[in-house]
Amino acid sequence: MKPNQSIRVSHMLRGIEDPVLIISTDKQVVLNANGKAIEVLANGKTSQLRGLPLQLAYGGERQDAFPKPLPPAFMLPVSQNGEISLIDFRVSPLKIEGKKYWLAIGRKVEQAEELQKKLQDLEQEKSLQQMKVQFMSMTSHEFRTPLTAISSAMDLLEARLQLDGQLSSFHRLQLRKMADEIFQLNAMLDEVLTLSKIAGNNWEADLKPVLPEQIIETLRYQYFSQRKDDRSLLISIDGEPRPILADKDQLAKVFTNLISNAFKYSTQKNPSVKLQYKKKKLVITFRDHGIGIPESDLPYLFTSFFRGSNVDGIEGTGLGLSIVKTFVESNHGTISVSSGVNEGTTFTLVFQEFADAI
Amino acid sequence: MNNTILLIEDKPSLSDALKSLLELHQYTVATAANGEEGIRAARKLRPGLVISDIYMPVLNGLDLLDSFRDDPALQDIPVVMLTARSEIDDIQQALERGAAGYVTKPFLFKNLHAVIRGIFEKQL
Repeated sequence: MKPNQSIRVSHMLRGIEDPVLIISTDKQVVLNANGKAIEVLANGKTSQLRGLPLQLAYGGERQDAFPKPLPPAFMLPVSQNGEISLIDFRVSPLKIEGKKYWLAIGRKVEQAEELQKKLQDLEQEKSLQQMKVQFMSMTSHEFRTPLTAISSAMDLLEARLQLDGQLSSFHRLQLRKMADEIFQLNAMLDEVLTLSKIAGNNWEADLKPVLPEQIIETLRYQYFSQRKDDRSLLISIDGEPRPILADKDQLAKVFTNLISNAFKYSTQKNPSVKLQYKKKKLVITFRDHGIGIPESDLPYLFTSFFRGSNVDGIEGTGLGLSIVKTFVESNHGTISVSSGVNEGTTFTLVFQEFADAI
Repeated sequence: MNNTILLIEDKPSLSDALKSLLELHQYTVATAANGEEGIRAARKLRPGLVISDIYMPVLNGLDLLDSFRDDPALQDIPVVMLTARSEIDDIQQALERGAAGYVTKPFLFKNLHAVIRGIFEKQL
């Protein structure tokens, strides 16, 4: 290497934090080494490294380590402050002004203790995340009790005003608005809690055999019966029901969300759920006859905080469908949607992992 | 018809409002602040229906369901669970342990009332 080239290369290597060597291809002489390499390989003595064959530079102890051509990787033990550690060098060819060299960049191999520490840090971070999720879970649970006390006090106020013949349409409207906001806040609590679980990686699907229609029946009984508009959820099943492998809670959240949407974005006909047990898959379709989704909105439908351009005034956070997609996929399912404005929307879920297949 | 309702809820502001609402609808209402107090009151009053929170100090609502089921004097009294928990497992557990109904907080009183009416009508 010409002297001016050598200076240019030295300058370039100076800024690199890892030890770097430039080695000739013929006699494997160390032509250049950066400060870090000199520090860790030659205890800071340039003359013990530069200009010497690699083997010699290394005290001749590693005669077998440097075959020709140089292998793509080699390791060198180094002693620093009385501790032995390993430097793992990766080798690649380097061409400067038509001449070939080897470029070797080293990285200290993590010692067991350091790995242990990193593992501990990770564990600590994980338990912090878990604490965060627990805190969110507790908070959202604790929020519900005062929310219920507020809504019951409002119900009482309305009942008392009515009894006293003082309930005007103005009172009724304002009380309705307050109640709507309370339930909106409650829905947000649910979604924030679910999102905090997802963000904390605390949502791995616990796959067990479940019968989806049982979950849907429970949800229909719990949330979608005795509606003030007298509509109900129609459920139909094709084929022989058999359990799929899925996380029951996550599946319940997916179904609750899709059924709530079906009621929320339609007003006349009953929404329906159809379960089709086929030979190798279960297809579940959720159908409503409501306002539909404009075609231009469809690509963004499963994005967090996105809401359709035609939802005017219908409450929502824009988080539900992004949670739905995350959970469907974590249960090895797929979700697709077809929709037409004012014709209604159909969400299709496909699950292929049956419990009897294992 | 036995129209006495025993309300077991540890939060006074909610318990008070619910008691007044139920009384406006002509029910006789007794209250208790935890599961143990609730069982004692139920044995004494023999209410037509119990509304109980799940998460309470001393004896929680799910254990209360077991106590009712195991006690010949109480096993016929329907219990409606009132709870902030809405995980599907909780709902199924409550129903499996004998709850007659399950209403999640927050709720509109008319929805709770519909559940109560449904249970009383079944008894007629």
